[in-house]
Amino acid sequence: MNPKEEKVKIITEEFIENDKDAGVGRQKKTPKVARQKRKKRLPTTGPEEMVPENLHFNQQGPVPEDSDTRPLSMTSRRGPRSLPPIPSASRTGFAEFSMRERMREKLQAARSKAESTLLQEIPTPRPRRLQSPSEKEMETEFGTEADEEVQRTQKEDDSQSYSRVKFCDSVRKIKPKPVVPPGFPSAEEAYNFFTFNFDPEPEESEEKPKAKNRDGMNQEEEEGEEEEPPVQEHKMDEEELLSAKDDEDFLLGLDHAAEDFVVVRPADYESVHVRLQMEKELLFVPSRLTVPTYKKLPENVQPRFLEDEGLYAGARPEVPRACQNIMENRLLTQEPGRKWFGDDGKILALPNPTKGFPSRPPVLTREQDIKAELETLYKKAVKYVHRSQHMIGSGDPSGNFQLDIDISGLIFTHHPCFSREHVLAAKLAQLYDQYLARHQRNKAKFLTDKLQALRNAVQTELNPAKPHKSLDTTQKAINEYKSEIRQTRKLRDAEQEKDRTLLKTIIKVWKEMKSLREFQRFTNTPLKLVLRKEKVDQKTDEEAYEAEIQAEISELLEELMEEYERKMEGYRASYQQWKAWKKAQRAKKKKKKQAVEEHPDEEMEEPYPGEEPVKPVPPEPTDRALVEQQVRERAAWSRRRPGEPTLVPELSLAGSVTPNEQCPRAEVLRREDVKRRSIYLKVIFNDKEVSRTDSRPLGADFRVHFGQIFNLQIFNWPESLTLQVYETIGHSGTTLLAEVFLPIPETTIVTGRAPIEEVEFSSNQHVTLDHEGVGSGVPFSFEADGSNQLILMTSGKVSNGVAWAIGENGIPLIPPLSQQNIGFRSALKRADAISSIGTSGLTDLKKLAKWAAESKLDPNDPNNAPLMQLISVATSGESYVPDFFRLEQLQQEFNFVSDEELNRSKRFRLLCLRSQEVPEFRNYKQIPAYDREIMEKVFQDYEKRLRDRNVIETKDHIDTHRAIVAKYLQQVRESVINRFLIAKHHFLLSDLIVEEEVPNISSEGSGILGLSLFKLAEQKRPLRPRRKGRKKVTAQNLSDGDIKVLVNIIRAYDIPVRKPTASKFQQPSRSSRTFSEKRAASPTTHSPTHSTDYPLGQVLVRPFVEVSFQRTICHTTTAEGPNPSWNEELELPFRAPNGDYSTTSLQSVRDDVFINIFDEVLNDVLEDDRERGRGIHTHIERHWLGSVKIPFSTIYFQAKIDGTFKIDIPPVLLGYSKERNLIIERSFDSVRSLSEGSYITLFITIEPQLVPGESVREKFDSQEDEKLLQATAKFQTECALKFPHRQCLTTVTDISGKTVFVTRYLKPLNPPRELLDACPNSPQAMEELVARYVSLIPFLPDTVSFAGICDMWSTSDQFLDLLAGDEEEHAVLLCNYFLSLGKKAWLMMGSAIPEGPTAYVLTREQSHYLIWNPCTGHFYGQFDTFCPLKSVGCLIGPDNIWFNIQRYDSPLRINFDVTKPKLWKSFFSRSLPYPGLSSVQPEELIYQRTDKAAAAELQDRIEKILKEKIMDWRPRHLTRWNRYCTSALRHFLPVLERNQGEDIEDDHRAELLKQLGDYRFSGFPLHMPYSELKPLIEAVYSTGVHNIDVPNVEFALAVYIHPYPKNVLSVWIYVASLIRNR
Amino acid sequence: MAEVHVIGQIMGATGFSESSLFCKWGVHTGAAWKLLSGVREGQTQVDTPQVGDMAYWSHPIDLHFATKGLQGWPRLHLQVWSQDGFGRCQLAGYGFCHVPSSPGSHQLHCPTWRPLGPWREQLARAFVGGGPQLLHGDAVYSGADRYRLRTVASGLVHLELGLLLRHFDRYGVQC
Repeated sequence: MNPKEEKVKIITEEFIENDKDAGVGRQKKTPKVARQKRKKRLPTTGPEEMVPENLHFNQQGPVPEDSDTRPLSMTSRRGPRSLPPIPSASRTGFAEFSMRERMREKLQAARSKAESTLLQEIPTPRPRRLQSPSEKEMETEFGTEADEEVQRTQKEDDSQSYSRVKFCDSVRKIKPKPVVPPGFPSAEEAYNFFTFNFDPEPEESEEKPKAKNRDGMNQEEEEGEEEEPPVQEHKMDEEELLSAKDDEDFLLGLDHAAEDFVVVRPADYESVHVRLQMEKELLFVPSRLTVPTYKKLPENVQPRFLEDEGLYAGARPEVPRACQNIMENRLLTQEPGRKWFGDDGKILALPNPTKGFPSRPPVLTREQDIKAELETLYKKAVKYVHRSQHMIGSGDPSGNFQLDIDISGLIFTHHPCFSREHVLAAKLAQLYDQYLARHQRNKAKFLTDKLQALRNAVQTELNPAKPHKSLDTTQKAINEYKSEIRQTRKLRDAEQEKDRTLLKTIIKVWKEMKSLREFQRFTNTPLKLVLRKEKVDQKTDEEAYEAEIQAEISELLEELMEEYERKMEGYRASYQQWKAWKKAQRAKKKKKKQAVEEHPDEEMEEPYPGEEPVKPVPPEPTDRALVEQQVRERAAWSRRRPGEPTLVPELSLAGSVTPNEQCPRAEVLRREDVKRRSIYLKVIFNDKEVSRTDSRPLGADFRVHFGQIFNLQIFNWPESLTLQVYETIGHSGTTLLAEVFLPIPETTIVTGRAPIEEVEFSSNQHVTLDHEGVGSGVPFSFEADGSNQLILMTSGKVSNGVAWAIGENGIPLIPPLSQQNIGFRSALKRADAISSIGTSGLTDLKKLAKWAAESKLDPNDPNNAPLMQLISVATSGESYVPDFFRLEQLQQEFNFVSDEELNRSKRFRLLCLRSQEVPEFRNYKQIPAYDREIMEKVFQDYEKRLRDRNVIETKDHIDTHRAIVAKYLQQVRESVINRFLIAKHHFLLSDLIVEEEVPNISSEGSGILGLSLFKLAEQKRPLRPRRKGRKKVTAQNLSDGDIKVLVNIIRAYDIPVRKPTASKFQQPSRSSRTFSEKRAASPTTHSPTHSTDYPLGQVLVRPFVEVSFQRTICHTTTAEGPNPSWNEELELPFRAPNGDYSTTSLQSVRDDVFINIFDEVLNDVLEDDRERGRGIHTHIERHWLGSVKIPFSTIYFQAKIDGTFKIDIPPVLLGYSKERNLIIERSFDSVRSLSEGSYITLFITIEPQLVPGESVREKFDSQEDEKLLQATAKFQTECALKFPHRQCLTTVTDISGKTVFVTRYLKPLNPPRELLDACPNSPQAMEELVARYVSLIPFLPDTVSFAGICDMWSTSDQFLDLLAGDEEEHAVLLCNYFLSLGKKAWLMMGSAIPEGPTAYVLTREQSHYLIWNPCTGHFYGQFDTFCPLKSVGCLIGPDNIWFNIQRYDSPLRINFDVTKPKLWKSFFSRSLPYPGLSSVQPEELIYQRTDKAAAAELQDRIEKILKEKIMDWRPRHLTRWNRYCTSALRHFLPVLERNQGEDIEDDHRAELLKQLGDYRFSGFPLHMPYSELKPLIEAVYSTGVHNIDVPNVEFALAVYIHPYPKNVLSVWIYVASLIRNR
Repeated sequence: MAEVHVIGQIMGATGFSESSLFCKWGVHTGAAWKLLSGVREGQTQVDTPQVGDMAYWSHPIDLHFATKGLQGWPRLHLQVWSQDGFGRCQLAGYGFCHVPSSPGSHQLHCPTWRPLGPWREQLARAFVGGGPQLLHGDAVYSGADRYRLRTVASGLVHLELGLLLRHFDRYGVQC
């Protein structure tokens, strides 16, 4: 009860009290009784009826409504209604039920109260007391229902009913109070009337239906139950409430009729049995019992089990037995047709469609079962590591991979300790093994059978009894058979012969062995050979033999006949040809005669000596007798004679070995030696020792058993696997016998499946022993006289097995490179072929078949049908199995175009090639949008290059060797460039980000705040110009014409001067040559240009300079005198190839700047002196004096070239001499050291300045010790800190791209023998000759060939093989030669002009040092001012590197004493001693003598080509060759070579003069090393000899090639022009 | 014979919990496609945004394809990585998107995700960095079974691609 209701009650009670107070003498009893009655009555009516009841009341009595009380009563009434007794909000069945229960109880209670009130009318009963009897009654009457709940509700009901009674009272009291109309019954009466009016039950029952109508929902169920109580009540009340009946009748007249309608009946009930009975009639319940099979099958049919018959039945779904029985029973009864039953008497069922495993596993169980491709791996946060070549599968160290190496044993097939008998035994065993193997295969037998079968086949084919085949096919078949017969016979003969020889050899060896055993009177080996004879039937054998021979003869004859026919045909044809040729020849000869008469010039052209066709000889017919003889001979040799028993050798180890005591001393020693020896193996993995076997003693049978398995846990991909066989003798050291290289197993080979293989090894060690042992590598003989010597090397076999290990759960432990190929473990392994054997396994059909067998795949399952078919096809091996797997099968159908068409598109091809940076297309700018706009010829060059890649062309290269070398160089270059292109795409931070240096106060150079701050305060000195740094231009935004090469020609020294007539001039004799004396160009010729005398003021020479670059030619004005000063700036435009100004492109520019010096000669053309007065007719001629060649790459890398260069002047300049020669006589020594040639001062630069490309920073891998590499890095940084501009070199890159420590290149190497023999008594001359030899090897700069790429150093033998290299190679070779000559020599790294950074060679003489330029062969003293070497960075010796830490680096100012640590910082010092690095150079150089004939031939060809070229260059003039002069020059050139172009014999000049006395002569010999033809032609062209257009000019050209060893050729070209003096 | 030219850039990424990001990208095409020019894969720089939360890479993509079929239309797969204060890198998200098939300029937003891993790995990731990565990266774009993975969403990668198509109409493809 909630407080509100309480309050309401209180209020009502107050009302009641008020009423009582106001009540007029009312008896206390009656109200109470009435109250009791009311109380009893109230609950019987449902709460719903309260309102209508009330209304009813009001209608009954004219009761005016009190507005005050009404709401109050309403609330009070509603209170208990709205609050259900049990707190349950919903109107559930329970609530309803409890409500019903309550009502019933209340009814009960009311009834009993009514009774009790009637009984205790007089003694006023206290209402409270009455409760207990009613309770008791309840217990007695409804004991079954009176449980706790009921009691509780009852209590609540009581209180409710109590309150209700109270408020009813109040209502009653309120109502009558205002309604007191006169003439009406008194209050008492009214009260009674009202109260008693309630009691009659019939009214209630009548009202019920009404209520039901109003509120059917709630009342429906109550109806049945509540029907009875009212009736009973009614009965009970009938007698009791008589007085009240009248009132009832008065009120409700209808009540009587209601009683008539209601009929009381017992509840309808059917017994269980009846019901079951009825159900049985209606329902069918199939039996659960098993149905016997015969019922399910048609009569007299036996059940048939398909599975037993081999058909596929499939797995039936699992159904409980009972269910199945029920089903069967039902089917049998309902549908008697039995169509639901199969042949086996079971219900038809499809195979179970459900999968055995869930296709969608719960998410939470992912740890256990996750698909391999979705596997995640926790990776630690790692620092970014640069890609490096060493690591494979970088940063993936998770897997541990294992390689199992099983070394089972070792057998020596030869060992130094072998006795002679052992040697034979080994041989015998080997032969026997071979015999067994052959015997097992028995190929001879097989081939014989085959031959027989083929012959039979031919016979049957030839049989005319088979007419159904067309003749054609038969003939064809027969021919095929016959050719096969021939082949088979050949094979068989060979096999038989081999068999027989083998047998013979075995017997021979065994005999030898026996004789040896007898001879030495002891036995060392248990080997024993038994020959078993197998008798054969003499007669049949003979017959077979004869038949065979006959068959063979006939076949051979047939064959020979065919051959003869063919030959005859060939003969006829060739005879015809020959005849025709003869005819033609005759005609030709006639013609030729005429031709020769017409063109006498052409006679030089010999008719090429083509091979004349030989007159063919007719073949000879064959002779049967001869053939037969041959066949018989062969048969006798290769076959067993008829009737001869077949021999079967059997080798056994049954023999006994003579014990030690009976052996001679030498043998005992041998045996003891064997005992002392033991063997072990080292396992070397990737060149690192990983483990070794135990040391096992060598057995007397020279077998060692190891039986060890090594498990290698590996991280890197295996590259090499080697076993090293070591032998230990006694307690002395071990020796490495041999290395056995094992193949890395395939990934499919895992432990357990790997076969044991025998790998043979042999060693080249030489062992001589002082006992019976035969030793190794030393000759020994079985014969007493020592003839028939044998040299055996230690050899043997290692039996081993290498395989990948298998992990715990069956995963092969194979490195990740191939891991995807290997099956991953999976729970579905057995069900899914792909997961079990991996996708790669699908292509390996054997594996697939094996898997199918293992997993017991049902071959009849239609699901597996394609698989089984595939397997059966594959294993039978009959039909075609595609060895590919099509990835996108449907692709083909949807393709727009075919592959070919796609590839044919020129545009696409061009695009691809450009992006691949193929040289031809690397900088191709715009590619047309349409195919038709692309010319076909774009690809021509490229295709040609591809085609020619492997074809060595000898057209461009006259010398084949050089052609091969050129090809090789080309390939090296390509591969290096490709690597470089890849490396170029790796960028460093500095490539991408330009960061301005932060200004720093202390910094000297670039600081804004530093010293430059003070500069602001400096005085301005406009007259003192300061050099400003030029701005560097990056090459991207340049175009043609933007770049110019500026050549500033300043002056020249010591230009050769024209020579006056020098007939009287005599050269001083030069007997005292010293080292400091250099070649003195002292050409003197006879031919005077001016017939006048040579006065002092006469112009000696009028030189001018012509600079040519990229076909642009500029020249200076003409100056005068031998020391001219031009001071002119020439500007030459520069064009980059393809218009591409990128760094790489510029680096690869191979053009040279040629600076030629000419003498301008004015010739008076007037021939008639009489006309001299009227005009001047002169002819300007220019005579080439010399040249300087500077490669563009040098200019590009150096940015500017500034200095004085030596002019390359030919050793002989006809008509010129050096002015100095005149002075020489006076001051011989003083001048000489100053100038020994002509010099020119130049300044060359590029405008605007370009940024030179950087060399590749790629770090090459190295085989050097890691410590050493660290030391080099440290050394270099230290050096760079002190002297950043000095070159410091510690490691270099070799030709294969590996970093090598530089001292490894230096090692004494022998110069060619011939050079040493040339001047045996003068070491100085020898050195010069050696230097000259080195300089004759052609120069090929690395920077040009490998644009922008680091230097590559080839070893001296590579250098000599390639016959090309740059300064380093030359210097290394020269230094090595000097070292071998016993000199102190160093490689000197420094910078020189014009080369830039370069390598020279420094040698130490007794008192002074000499600096050698290896490329020219010249040498300079340390204090020679004209030495091109300008700075010295470091010196490299064979065992150390010294870095120059002196203040100056000019060779003039430094001390070369490397022992002083203050001046030279050495790499290896006390803290880091020299570890004794082995050299990369070969042991010695082997020189092949150059073929003189080839050189002579080359010489002729060059001469011819050059002559043709000169004629080509003069297209408008006739070129005449002066043969006298040529032959004179030809004699002259070898002399030049002999004297190395330094001295010219006077008599030769005199000879020239004699021969060519009336010619004006200008010419010079050119000398250069031979590399290819093009430079020679260029050189001749650059001299401009051909430019003379005087009409009667004649030319002379002579070529001489002097061959030096190793194909080093020195080429001399003498070219001259002659003009006849009239 | 048709040509597809993809020219554009990987603009940047937003919505990642990590700050210093970089992206590894690659293009995957079918067998019918032929790369005429350009690089198929690359990696951007590390960007640490100072203002805002978008990491800008502006990494150029310049690819030129010739194709003989429509199958295997190029798709970009992306891996966003983050770099922590020690310079260590860890995976921040996988993602992939198709190159658009209509010509013109396109703004793409490629959502990314990363594998979550069991709680131990999550804990380790939170404290010591690193994280689970797919062993087989192709699951990012080929996995029909990807539902098995437990992943967590990471941010978006923004791309700007310009498409030029050529000759598709010749083969009856309208675009």
